[in-house]
Amino acid sequence: MLTAALAGLAAGGTYALLGVCAVFTYRLVAVVNFAGAAVGAVGTFAMVMLHQAGMPLVPAVAIGLLAGTIASGLVGAVMSTWFAESDAQTKAAVTVAMLVGLIFAGLRVTGGQHPRQVPALFPGAAFSLDNVVVTVAAVVTIALAIAFAIGATLFLNRTRVGLLLRALSEHPMTAELMGIRTRLLSAAIWLVTGAATSLALMIVAPEWEPNFMTLSELIVPAFAAALMGSFRSFWLTVVGGIGLGLLEGMASNLAWLSQYRGGLPFVIIVAVLLWGQRGARWDEAR
Amino acid sequence: MKRANIGPFAGILGGSLAAIAIVAGLLPNYWVFLCTTAVISAVTLQSVGVVTGRTGMISLCQMSFAGIGAWTVAWLNVHGAPGSLPLWILIGGLVAVPFGVTIGLPALRLRGINLAVVTLGFAAAFDNVLGAMTFPGQAQFKFVPRPLLFSGDRAYFAFCVIVFALIALALYLLSRSRFGAAWMAIRHSERATAAHGVSIPRSKVSAFALSAFIAGIGGGLLAGQLGTLVSGSFDIMQSLALFVLGTMVGAQHGDGALLGGILTAFFPELLRRLHLPQDLGNIAFAVGAIQALSMGASSSEALRTLLWRRRARRLRRQPSSARTAIAPGPAAMPGTIFPGGHGPAPALDIAGLTVRYGSVVALDRVDLKVAAGAVVGLIGPNGAGKSTLIDAVTGFVNRYDGALMLEGCGLDGLAAHRRALVGVRRTWQQTRIAPDLTVGGYVRLAAGRRLSGGELAQILDWLGCPDPEERIAAIDVGTRRLLDIAGVVAARPRAIFLDEPAAGQSHEESMRLALRIAEIPARFGSAVVLVEHDIDLVRRACSQVTVLDFGQVIASGPPDRVLGEEAVIKAYLGAAQEGLTV
Amino acid sequence: MSALDASGVTINRAGLPVVRAASLSLKAGSISVLLGANGAGKTTLLEGISGVVPLAGGTVTLEGRRIEGSRPNQRARLGLAHVQQGRAVFRLLTTEENLRIACHREGSIEQGFELFPELKPRRHVAAGLLSGGEQQMLVMARAFVSRPKVLLIDEMSLGLAPLIVRRLMAVVRELADRGLAVLLVEQFAALALATGDRAHVLRRGRIVFDGDCASLRDAPEKLHRLYLGEGADGDPGGCFEMPRPMEEDLP
Repeated sequence: MLTAALAGLAAGGTYALLGVCAVFTYRLVAVVNFAGAAVGAVGTFAMVMLHQAGMPLVPAVAIGLLAGTIASGLVGAVMSTWFAESDAQTKAAVTVAMLVGLIFAGLRVTGGQHPRQVPALFPGAAFSLDNVVVTVAAVVTIALAIAFAIGATLFLNRTRVGLLLRALSEHPMTAELMGIRTRLLSAAIWLVTGAATSLALMIVAPEWEPNFMTLSELIVPAFAAALMGSFRSFWLTVVGGIGLGLLEGMASNLAWLSQYRGGLPFVIIVAVLLWGQRGARWDEAR
Repeated sequence: MKRANIGPFAGILGGSLAAIAIVAGLLPNYWVFLCTTAVISAVTLQSVGVVTGRTGMISLCQMSFAGIGAWTVAWLNVHGAPGSLPLWILIGGLVAVPFGVTIGLPALRLRGINLAVVTLGFAAAFDNVLGAMTFPGQAQFKFVPRPLLFSGDRAYFAFCVIVFALIALALYLLSRSRFGAAWMAIRHSERATAAHGVSIPRSKVSAFALSAFIAGIGGGLLAGQLGTLVSGSFDIMQSLALFVLGTMVGAQHGDGALLGGILTAFFPELLRRLHLPQDLGNIAFAVGAIQALSMGASSSEALRTLLWRRRARRLRRQPSSARTAIAPGPAAMPGTIFPGGHGPAPALDIAGLTVRYGSVVALDRVDLKVAAGAVVGLIGPNGAGKSTLIDAVTGFVNRYDGALMLEGCGLDGLAAHRRALVGVRRTWQQTRIAPDLTVGGYVRLAAGRRLSGGELAQILDWLGCPDPEERIAAIDVGTRRLLDIAGVVAARPRAIFLDEPAAGQSHEESMRLALRIAEIPARFGSAVVLVEHDIDLVRRACSQVTVLDFGQVIASGPPDRVLGEEAVIKAYLGAAQEGLTV
Repeated sequence: MSALDASGVTINRAGLPVVRAASLSLKAGSISVLLGANGAGKTTLLEGISGVVPLAGGTVTLEGRRIEGSRPNQRARLGLAHVQQGRAVFRLLTTEENLRIACHREGSIEQGFELFPELKPRRHVAAGLLSGGEQQMLVMARAFVSRPKVLLIDEMSLGLAPLIVRRLMAVVRELADRGLAVLLVEQFAALALATGDRAHVLRRGRIVFDGDCASLRDAPEKLHRLYLGEGADGDPGGCFEMPRPMEEDLP
C-alpha cells in the first residue's frame, strides 16, 4: 500500500508546487488565478514544440520559461489594468475566462487533444522500493516545491521587497501612498509565478503524456492543495499537495477505485471546506 | 403596470410562435438542427443566469448538471421506465438538484470564491467518472426515443422552444417575486439583503438548486435531440465555455440567454463557412466575457441600458419630478393605522451594550430604552459609536456583551435576518439597493409580506418615491434614500433604525423628511431610532435624544434640554458646524 | 514660493462633481486647515492632491513641478505624504515594519520613535493590536520618516480622546515649525483653528473662505454661516461667493 502511494509522488510534487504558486498569487495580488496552470502549459508546450522542431533542450527550456513568464505577465497586466479595483469574485471570473481562452488557443496551436511526447528534463529513476520506481523528476518536483515554500517564506519575512509586498497585499492604496511602486511589484509577482509554474510543469509533464488541456486542468488539484493551506500557509499547501498525490497513488492500486481517482481532489476540497467551516456561521457579509 | 406585466408574456409567446413558424416551416433540415442546438444551449445558459447572473455566484459545473440530466434520461430509456421523454427530462432535472444542494452547502457558507473552486472540482470529477462509465445505451446504440407528437426534427425544435419559453416565463415571474428579488439583492449586498429578513444561505442554496434543475433539463433536451450521447458533450471545457458565454451575454435575461444560444450554434458555423477554425469562437467568447466584466455589463445589458437611458431621458422631461412630489402635509394621508404601537413594553430595550474591536472599545455599557411609538434621536460626533450600535442591535456585529430585548423578547443569539423578521429593521449610511430591481420589487422585498398594490402606492406616495415600475438604476441617490425608508416602513417592524437618512439632502428636503419620520410611529406602528448629523431634523422629528461620545451615553432626554447640556456642547467642541445651534 | 499649489481642482465621483474648481496653496513651515461640513468634499480634495482619485480638471504643483498626472507613488517619492482617514496602519505588520516601509534609509526609523516615544515599547507589536491613539501616532510617524515636504492629514482626531488629539496637534505644530507644509482636515474646528495658520472652508465642493485662522477663531458665527450658507446677505467677510445648493447645479 505504501509503495503504491509512492507512485503518486511526482503528481503530489506538482500539486504542491502549483498550489504554492496559487497561494503566492492569492496572498500577494489577491487573485485566485484559475489560469495559473494554463500559463505553465504555455511555457511547457513552447518548450516541447521548439524541441521537436530541432532546438536543443537547454535553449528550448529557456525560451519555454520565458514564454510562460510572458503569458503570466500578460494575465497580470490585464488584471492590474482593468480589474485592480474589482472584487474577488469578478477577478476570479476574469481568470476563468482567460483559462478558457488560453486552453482553446493552446489546443489550436499545439494540435488538439492528442497526448504529446514531452522530452524529460530529469530522466531516469532516483530509487525504487518494492518494484515501485520513484523517478528523478518526482524527487526534483518535491524538492522544488519545498524550496519554493522556503524561499517564499524567507523572502516575505526577511527582505525589504518582501516587506513591501506584505504591505501591498494588505492595503494597496496606502502602500502606493508610501511611495511603493505597486504596479511594478505586482507585475514581478505575476512574472515569477509564471516562470515557476512553467518550470514545474516542464519537469513533470513527461509523466503524463499530456495535452494542453490536461496540463491546464492541473489547477484543480493545485487548488485542493491550496485550500488545505487556507490559501495562506505555504507549508500546509506543500503537505496537502504531496498528500493528495500519495492518496491518488494508493487509489490507483485499488481496482474498484482506480478509475475514479481523478475525483479525489473534489472529495478533498469538499472535505476541507466542511472541516474548515465546522464552527463558522453564515456571516451575511458584504 | 398592467402593460409591463403582460409585455414579456406577449413577447415570449409571440417570439416563440414566430420562431417555430419560421424555423420549422421554412428552413432546411440542417438549419433546423442548428436552431434546435441554439435553443437547447439557451436553456442551459439560463441555468448560468440564475446562479451567476442573478445571484452573483461563480459556478463552473453547469454542464455536469446537464450531464446528470442527460444520463438520467438515457438510464430511464434503457430501463424502459414508464412515461416518455418529457417526463424523463423533468426527472433528469430533479435528479440534478440534490447534487446541486450537496455541492452548494459547504461552498456557499463563506463569502468568496469557494463555490468557484468546488464547482470546478466537481466538473473535473464528473469528467473522470463519466469517462469511466459510458452513457446507458451508448454501447448498445439504444437511442432515446422522442415522444410521438414531437418526433420529427421540426416538431422537436418546437418542443425545445416551448420548454425554453416556459423556463423564461417562470424565471421572469420569479424575478418579480420576493424570492427572485432577494437573489438580485444578494448579488449587490448580502448584508443589506439579510437586513430585509432574507436568509442568505437559503436563498443561495435555492438559487443553486434551481440552476442545477434547469441545467438538468437542458441535458435531457440534448439527449432527445441527439438520441445517443457522448461524455465529451458534458466535459469540463463545456462547463467553462458555458460560464464564459453566460458572462458575456448576460444569461440572467431571457434575451441574453437566447443570444448566447444563437452564438453557440451559429458562430462556429459562420467561422466554418469563412474557412476559419471553429474554436476561434470560444476564444472570442472569452475575450467578450473579459470585456463584459470590465464594463460591469454584459452585451445584452449594454443594449438594454441604451434603451433605458432613452426612456429615462423621456421621463425626466416630464415636469413633475418625484422629488417635488412629496405631499405637503398629513392631510394627504388616510387615518392612523397603529395608534399605540405593538404593545405596552418598551419597543426596544438595550442594556449594557458593549462592543470591542481589538483593544478599541466602540460601545461601552450603553443603555437605551425606546418607548413604543417614540422617535428617538441618536447623535454624537463622528466615531462616537452610533453606527456600531445599529450594527450590534440588528445583528451585524459578531460579538458583543449586554442584553437586547424587543418588546420583552431577547434578540441575542439571533442571526441578522431573524432579527429583521421579529421586527428590527434598519437602513444603511450608504444606500445599498440593488440597481437591477424595480422600485416596487424593492419595497416588496423589504416588506417581507404580501403588499397590495394600493398599499404599495400609498407608501411610495407618502414619501414621494417614483412609480413602482421604475428601475432603481434610473433614479438618483437622494430618491433611493427615501426608498430605503419606504422599504423599512413597509415591513411594519416594531423598531426601525435610520442611519443618516438626510445625508446629501437639502435643508428643505430634510425638513420635509423630519415630518415624515415623526409620522412613522402613528402610521406604521414602529418605534424609530434616528441617527443623524442634521440637528434641526433631529429636533423636529424626535421626542427624545440620546447623545453618544466615545461609545458612552453622555446625555439623554427631551431634545431641547439635552442639546443645551454642557457635556453635549463639549462633545461637539468646536463642532458647531455639524449644525448644532446652541 | 509655495510648497504645494492646487489650482482649479475639479474632481468627479460617479459622474457628479464633488470638488469644484478648488484652489489653495500651502507654504513651508505653515499649517493650513481645511474645514467644512460632512460631505463638503474635504477628503476627496486631499485624495485628488495625493493621486488616490484622478482630477477632472485643474493642476497640482509640488515645489514648482506639475504632478497631477503622476501615479500616487511618484508623488510620494517627490515629497508628498498623505495620512489617510481611519488610521490606515498595516495591521499584520509590526510597528517597526510599518515605519520601515516608509523610510528609504534604515537609520531614520528612529526619528519616528523620537517623535512619538510612546511607540518605542510597542516596536515589535503588530500594528493591529495597538490602541486607536497609538495607531494614529504610528501613521503620523510613518508619514514623517518618509521625509516629506508636504504633509496632508485627514481627520486625525476621529474617535480619539481630546487629550490624545491635543498631543497630536502639538506634534503637527512641531512638524510645521521644522519646515513642513501641512494641510489639516479636521472636524474639531476650534482646536484646528487654534493650531493652524491659514484656514480654508469647503462648502458643497467649493472653497468659500480662504483667510487667516485668527479671523475665523474670533468670529465663530462667521464660521457657522460659511458652513451652512445662511445669511449670505450679511457681511461676506472672506467669502468669494455663496454658491447655490448643489442639487440645482446638477443637470
